[in-house]
Amino acid sequence: MASVSASHLILFIASMVIAASVAGVFTDTVGRLGQAISDQGLDVSENVRTDVEIISDAGSDAVYNDSTGNITLYVKNTGSETLPARADRMDLFVDGIFETNVEATLLEDGVQWRPGGVVRLDIAHSLDPDTDHRVKLIVNADEEVFKFRS
Amino acid sequence: MGFSVSGSAAIIFAAMFVGFGMFHSATVNGFETVSDAQQDRTDRTLVQQNTAIEIWSATWDGGAGELTVRANNTGSTELSVDEVDLLADNRYVRGYDTSVGGDGATNLWLAQETLEITVTSLDADPGRVKLITGPGVAVTASTAEVA
Repeated sequence: MASVSASHLILFIASMVIAASVAGVFTDTVGRLGQAISDQGLDVSENVRTDVEIISDAGSDAVYNDSTGNITLYVKNTGSETLPARADRMDLFVDGIFETNVEATLLEDGVQWRPGGVVRLDIAHSLDPDTDHRVKLIVNADEEVFKFRS
Repeated sequence: MGFSVSGSAAIIFAAMFVGFGMFHSATVNGFETVSDAQQDRTDRTLVQQNTAIEIWSATWDGGAGELTVRANNTGSTELSVDEVDLLADNRYVRGYDTSVGGDGATNLWLAQETLEITVTSLDADPGRVKLITGPGVAVTASTAEVA
């Protein structure tokens, strides 16, 4: 009888250990999944809150400077998210070509690009005179296209 | 054996209960964050749709070196003067004087009120101006020279 009780005790302890391991793995996995869903929610909300508008005057001759080969764009934060005023946090395409030679200057006090603020983008990119061009700007998945004549 | 099975089942059940709690709170929080952001976007779009402005005079006074832009808020949104931007021939202009209906201290540009912007930092007639409001609604106008 003693051997039966001992084996029952061993089986009981083993089943508890296995159940506890399964429970640990399960809660850990669900915890990670929950964290990922939370992060994704924050990302999506950031994307939805982001809205920028290229406010440059497309009809002006001064968008592109022939002598310096510079395109000057003004971008206004019309969303409700504070954005970093840094060129490396934006993607810019000039006539379909990804542009890395971009300088972003915040035209207001402070370091954060708050809603209502304007950033000047200076893009060093030579263009043929009197031709049509388009610039595409992507900030937090918000895409803006600006068309102008050089 | 009976104790082992029911003990294990209880542990697994408790873990599932805890797991569901964690998953539920994360999902609800994520959903609420996104739905708040969407609500905010809907509000912004409504404000944008209700915003309209009209430049009824843009004049360049060569003698005084002064650009004067007068615009009327023809929409139904209350606009902020400090969120208004002015481009003079695609050059961002700062440090100008503003007045709404003769009041130079106010920051509110209400419906049917006229905003007057006086720029003295330009050297020559820019030829064209663009006025941009906080919600992003913009208008352009050509300048007229006055003696």
